[in-house]
Amino acid sequence: MNPSMANPSLTADAQRPTQGRASTLTRLVLSNEFGLAVLLVITFLIFANTLQGYSSTFSLFTIGRQIGINTMIGLAMMAVIVTGGLDLSVGAIGACTAMVFGYLVQALGIPLAGAVPLAIVFGAGLGFINGFTVVKSGVHSFIITLASMSIFFGLMIFLTKAQSFNQLPPEVPAFGKSKIGGLVSPLLIISVVTCAALSVFYRFTTLGRSMLAAGANPKAAELSGIRTGRIITACHMLTGGLAALAGLMLTARTGAAIPSMAGQLGQDWLLPAFLAPVLGGTLLAGGRVSVIGTFLGAAFVQVMTSGLLLMRIGEFWILACLGVMLLLAVLTDKARQTILRNKGMV
Amino acid sequence: MATGVFTRAFDNDWIGPGLVSLAAVIGIAILQPSFLSPFNIFVLLSAIAVNMVIALGQLVIIAIGQMNLALGAVGGLVAISFVGLIEVYGVPPLFALSISLAIGVFAGMASGYIISRTGISAFIITLAGLQIFKGINLGITEAQPFYAVPQTVKDFGNLSMIGPIPWLIIPMIIASVGIWYLLNHLRIGRYILAIGNNPHAAELSGINQRATVTWAHAISGLLAAMAGIMLVAKLQIGQPTIGDDWLISSFAAPVIGGAVLSGGHVSVVGTFFGVVIIAIITQALVLFNIDPYIVQVVLGGLILWAVGINRWRELRVAKIQKQGN
Repeated sequence: MNPSMANPSLTADAQRPTQGRASTLTRLVLSNEFGLAVLLVITFLIFANTLQGYSSTFSLFTIGRQIGINTMIGLAMMAVIVTGGLDLSVGAIGACTAMVFGYLVQALGIPLAGAVPLAIVFGAGLGFINGFTVVKSGVHSFIITLASMSIFFGLMIFLTKAQSFNQLPPEVPAFGKSKIGGLVSPLLIISVVTCAALSVFYRFTTLGRSMLAAGANPKAAELSGIRTGRIITACHMLTGGLAALAGLMLTARTGAAIPSMAGQLGQDWLLPAFLAPVLGGTLLAGGRVSVIGTFLGAAFVQVMTSGLLLMRIGEFWILACLGVMLLLAVLTDKARQTILRNKGMV
Repeated sequence: MATGVFTRAFDNDWIGPGLVSLAAVIGIAILQPSFLSPFNIFVLLSAIAVNMVIALGQLVIIAIGQMNLALGAVGGLVAISFVGLIEVYGVPPLFALSISLAIGVFAGMASGYIISRTGISAFIITLAGLQIFKGINLGITEAQPFYAVPQTVKDFGNLSMIGPIPWLIIPMIIASVGIWYLLNHLRIGRYILAIGNNPHAAELSGINQRATVTWAHAISGLLAAMAGIMLVAKLQIGQPTIGDDWLISSFAAPVIGGAVLSGGHVSVVGTFFGVVIIAIITQALVLFNIDPYIVQVVLGGLILWAVGINRWRELRVAKIQKQGN
């Protein structure tokens, strides 16, 4: 809500190119992604060596599959955090899309090849509604998406009468269960491919660069000829599309489209949605994304969660642990920025 | 200042929602006379009492230009702590009440302290708080309720004081008058609004931002705790799910009441009518046998509607000011 708070780090970012090439390696080592990757490897090695069954083929498969889904949820939120906004309705969009998908294939008998793209377009459409309303009203996306999450989810429950679609074509659950090379879930592959595509998108396409520019400094972007309103709407549509994809992936994993799959109002997705990008170093104030960081963030969370579950800590306490993790992530990020700035290294 | 009483009255935040509430009561009463039966009024007032305290908990945070996602999680944690202390440790109810209220204050204070100390956005800190408090709640209860609610507490939540007026109205009145007085007549309230209006200017004029933000969150925690215990009294059980559904309505009521989300401008009376409108609509859906799931849609729609109206008023004020210059 308060963009001025994160501004020091923004200006720090802007100063980076003046530092020259000499510090490339230093910058890499000090980067958030590098730290996260090291943390991820260490955590994994500790769990793999101390917990029995943690590194079994099946365990690795389920961890990978869940990383795939959580990465997609994180990317969905990341796509809108770019603008300095947020989208509370990602979970609602995911659940709505899954239900629309279920309706298309189960009730209407539309083949999967048609239903999947239609469902993703539907999700992007819900994102468009969010983006359009945010831009036209000039109200912060928090309150608009708070309202839309209630509306989307309420309408979905009203229309489906809270009944799931569990007679999906057998290919759907089979896809969720399939293992490439006996180990890797295709859901993980989908996320990795999406990460690669998004990296290219933000770095090399005009639209992607405009999104970053509009997020970093909307006024400057507007002055340099970017139509900020349209860009923000596009960001929300991207979020909607990615949330839809995450919803479909979750449907494949559970083998059914269930209205409560993202919890009441889709609130259960909020934590993974913010945890992954924030751990990965995406600035909440906008203007900077880290696609790889988001992937690493989601991976770290899942490696941690699976380990804690295997230690029989109890799934309820894991909720609290994840909350603490989010808190630690933002605090260490803050500390890191302060230290770097004090040493004049950025 | 020279404008007439009527013009000023209509520029008030609460006139609009107040008139809507009145119209809704009259309209529904004509269509469905049982709406004004003493029993129904009792049910309506009980719901309003609890929801008003919840809304006030969010109102204080909206006033400083932030948001509190952890409101419901704090309320739920306090609710199960209250009953759990009595059931498991045999703590005397009054003592358990003080401890659990203190838990609420402390939880709020912790969020507020971290937010003001680090400058990280309240959204992300209270999202973490939501997860932590909810996790502790479920970790303690394992999603099972506590049952040992004392009879006096049950009576407080379910008996009427006079005619159709429930006892639950008492904490609501205390909280509402308290917050109104705090925001309008106490220094801390002035500071809260000043920070909400313009944090930078507030800091420059010597207001201790850290302390004020921390206290605002502590007050929010106290109100969440009160609401949690009121719900225990009303439901007669220490449910771990208490607080799960507070998020939307806690924002809807203040926004309908004209609160500006960037902070600095809130209305306690307006929020009260916001709560009344929500309660009436929820009740009406039940009375007319409409699918209760649609309540969510209506709540979302109400937020958008209110945001639209507030925006329009803002633009109008800006226009008038421009003309004045």
